Amino acid sequence: MSSPDAPLLEVRGLHVQFGGRHGAVARAVDGVDLEVREGEVLALVGESGCGKTTLARTILGLERPHAGEIRYEGTPLDYGTGSLRRYRRRVQMIFQDPTGALNPRQTIYEAVAEGLRIQGSSGDEEARVVNALARSGLRPPERFLQLYPYEVSGGQRQRIVIAGAMVLEPRLLVADEPVSSLDASVRGEILQLMLGLVRETGVAILVVTHDLGLAWNIANRVAVMYLGRIVEQGTTEELLADPRHPYTQALLSVVPEKERLEPQILTGEAPDPTRIPAGCRFHPRCPLVQSGEAARLGVEERCSNEDLALSSVRGAAARSQHAAACHALL
Amino acid sequence: MSAQALLSVRDLRVTYASSAGDVPAVRGVDFELARGETLGLAGESGCGKSSVAGALLRLLPATTKVTGEVLLDGEDVLALRPERLRAVRWTELAIIFQGALHTLNPVKRVGWQIGEAISTHQQSASARDVRRRVGDLLETVGIPARRIDDYPHQLSGGQRQRVLIALALACEPSLLIADEPTTALDVMVQAQVLKLLQDLQRDLGLAMIFITHDLSTLASVCQRLAVMYAGRIVEEGRSDEVFEAPRHPYTAALAAAFPIIGDERFRMAPSGLGGDPPDPRVLPSGCSFHPRCAVAQSECPTVDIELRTAGPGRRAACVRVGAAG
Repeated sequence: MSSPDAPLLEVRGLHVQFGGRHGAVARAVDGVDLEVREGEVLALVGESGCGKTTLARTILGLERPHAGEIRYEGTPLDYGTGSLRRYRRRVQMIFQDPTGALNPRQTIYEAVAEGLRIQGSSGDEEARVVNALARSGLRPPERFLQLYPYEVSGGQRQRIVIAGAMVLEPRLLVADEPVSSLDASVRGEILQLMLGLVRETGVAILVVTHDLGLAWNIANRVAVMYLGRIVEQGTTEELLADPRHPYTQALLSVVPEKERLEPQILTGEAPDPTRIPAGCRFHPRCPLVQSGEAARLGVEERCSNEDLALSSVRGAAARSQHAAACHALL
Repeated sequence: MSAQALLSVRDLRVTYASSAGDVPAVRGVDFELARGETLGLAGESGCGKSSVAGALLRLLPATTKVTGEVLLDGEDVLALRPERLRAVRWTELAIIFQGALHTLNPVKRVGWQIGEAISTHQQSASARDVRRRVGDLLETVGIPARRIDDYPHQLSGGQRQRVLIALALACEPSLLIADEPTTALDVMVQAQVLKLLQDLQRDLGLAMIFITHDLSTLASVCQRLAVMYAGRIVEEGRSDEVFEAPRHPYTAALAAAFPIIGDERFRMAPSGLGGDPPDPRVLPSGCSFHPRCAVAQSECPTVDIELRTAGPGRRAACVRVGAAG
């Protein structure tokens, strides 16, 4: 085991690229540094196409980085079949759509036991399945064992998917939009379950989402991703109460509950990772550039020409890790 | 009120036929909508909200039993003959569905698809007039008119949703129904589309019915809100009042499901509702919400509660709301 302060998972200088249409290269993840610590919930927030799902898949070993590395408990990820299998016992995935994630011809028992069988785990399989179901809020668990996915509700299906991940007693769950396909009332129940698992088992969760309300509900820290890069990160309180990057500010302003903020609706769609702008990658959509504020601050030139990394936010508390990548903040 | 209502729905019931027996999806819904007014219809999957929309437009399968009265400008939609219905569907009443990807024909240019709707209903219009009008419509929804000859796949998801809005507006309807218009879209695109719909509603004086489970979106877009549960409206009133001070425990649970960022009550405290939405074929007795209700009383499993007055312009179907009103 590494020291208690060392992160559970480290992402260092990560680049993931795909060959795009017409030979264009999509730089889906374009230089990301990120840490997930033991027992924390980290929300990775951004629009579609920002690279958050690719980053999650790379963390799981489903995509290979073009440059940079993933370290688990200080050890770089090894892509050999055996080591990858052992790694996945520790790092499990929860997908967005529980209906698609479950095989309709498998009973719930088989669905939850599958991970144990792949891992070749010894011991009392049934006891572990029953325990995982109970822990995921499916009680009494015996009632569910022989049912098929179509015989249970959408919320229960997501609990089954979570039980299938938790049965291996992982240290990290990577959850990609775990509640976006669920009904409003069920959403809160699943989030409560996730928070309960963190408290009871000490598992850490990296939750990929576009939903800032979800972050407020369950996350200790938030990282905001834009066009393949983390543009702001900090504790949830810092980042959501005092967002510094204009992109984070815009994202927060369009949350309907935040009626007091003037909505800053960015024009255009989420931009294209095959054509990442020079300079600050956000500058073509940046409200500070469009309003002339960047020019007034004398940084507009740099916004369009100089790429920049995260740096500590001015005025943040001494041990704060609130950081943002914006020329106007430097 | 009734005299000037654009839309008046009385005791609407929708029952689907299935091999396992009748499925009562809508069980007696009443509401009115004035010209230029916006109503949000909220509720979860299976609550009947999309069935209400389908009934208003008569889009439901022929085997479905629809009863009650739907008066649009005084004309009963449920009794219209097919040719009149076709005319009404575009010129009076139009709908935007969720999932813009699947509604447009992939092998026809978007301008042609909008133009077809116009020329079908205005046969006197010349081809040049139609094309000019299509260009104007595209500009209205924020798409450059030069994209008129694009195919759907050349447009982004947000742009396709805008094309569907242009299509719905093609024959200048007085009522627009938007069924989960932004569900599949990204946060920022969602905000763009909502703003467009709000602007159009205001500029064109459209009446609108918004349907979604996202109560916070409805509260920010609509003047009035109606919350549905198990095929009935269980609460209605001004949207800010319903969202901020719900009288029905189900509305309270739905509202709490969307946290207020910055509010300590929601910090590390997601709020949900136990249980699942009921199966319409086997509804609980009494108040159909009682098995999930945190404040249910002894009579709730037996007494079927109708909507009752819960303050000025507000109604709620809960025994805890004073019957005297």
